[in-house]
Amino acid sequence: MQQNLNILVVDDFSTMRRIIKNLLHDLGYASVSEADDGNTALPLLKSGNFNFLITDWNMPGMPGLELLKQVRADARLGNMPVLMLTAEAKRDQIVEAVQAGVNGYVIKPFTAATLKEKIDKIMASRAAA
Amino acid sequence: MSQALAAGDAQAFGAALVGFDRARNCDVTMRVRIVASGLQGALKRFQVDSKLIDLAHHQVPDARHQLAYVLRLTDDAAHRTMDLVEQCCPLADQIAQQAERLIAAHGLAAPPEPIKAQIGQFLKQTGTSMAAVRSNLSEVLLTQGYQDLSGQIIRGVMALVDELEQALGDLVRIAGTDTGTGTGTASDTDSHSPAGSGSNARGHGPSVPGVNHGPAVCGQQDVDDLLSNLGM
Repeated sequence: MQQNLNILVVDDFSTMRRIIKNLLHDLGYASVSEADDGNTALPLLKSGNFNFLITDWNMPGMPGLELLKQVRADARLGNMPVLMLTAEAKRDQIVEAVQAGVNGYVIKPFTAATLKEKIDKIMASRAAA
Repeated sequence: MSQALAAGDAQAFGAALVGFDRARNCDVTMRVRIVASGLQGALKRFQVDSKLIDLAHHQVPDARHQLAYVLRLTDDAAHRTMDLVEQCCPLADQIAQQAERLIAAHGLAAPPEPIKAQIGQFLKQTGTSMAAVRSNLSEVLLTQGYQDLSGQIIRGVMALVDELEQALGDLVRIAGTDTGTGTGTASDTDSHSPAGSGSNARGHGPSVPGVNHGPAVCGQQDVDDLLSNLGM
């Protein structure tokens, strides 16, 4: 159980936010907050104490890729682990996300095991760095 | 003009000639104007026609595939949810019946000797069954992800319907003002591109079988392979 992560989940569909939040709770992450796009997420990230971001890509307002770029451009948030959890499946999009500094990419529909594996992998590489 | 010529009146002849030329030029100018406005109308029609042809030949059939996929997603999710619930129900019934039997036996003045073993067996069975129920409940939760995927696809189709409405409106406007005085602008439609078009920045929505999205990954293993190739 890893309760020390303070996670922000960003997705425009409330059903998907509930799914991710429930799965994270099952994985032992109790501190999970939600935002419905990059515009609402960014002020929360800047004012809050989050240390992990899970974001969708295709959202009205600010999409996930732009949110990722803004996070990387911010002096305080720049180093935050970001997991993209999205239905966007074009190969050049994944390359673009990697170039923008994403730490993990999970394609929807996904499984609880995949979510766990990707979070664990990101945290393990952080711990090793 | 012929009278001025017969009378040898050079001034009157010159004036008549200028008048004739002016009338002729005026006629030519008007004809050129009509041709130009006709051409302008044809160009506008051509822009709208091209847009409609693209919508009719590509985007509307794609939208049909997308809606069929939504139907399949919702159908699959509903069946999967019901399968999982149907698996849980007998487990719950079994536990309830066993508990009832044990309660009855426990309430006897002289409980039968093997009751201890039965309770042990019941607790073991309960643990196993509840683990299965918990796992099924997690999967029911995950199955609801269809709402996100189908919602994204429906949004794309709604944007397409908007675009179609705009293009048809433009066509009606142009047809109603075919003399070239209309204000319909086919290029207006460009600002209403559906969610599925344009650059990657906003995203394209879920990939739909039967609809060509360009090179795309197929499942998480494909994503992991690509990330691995990119050094992640």
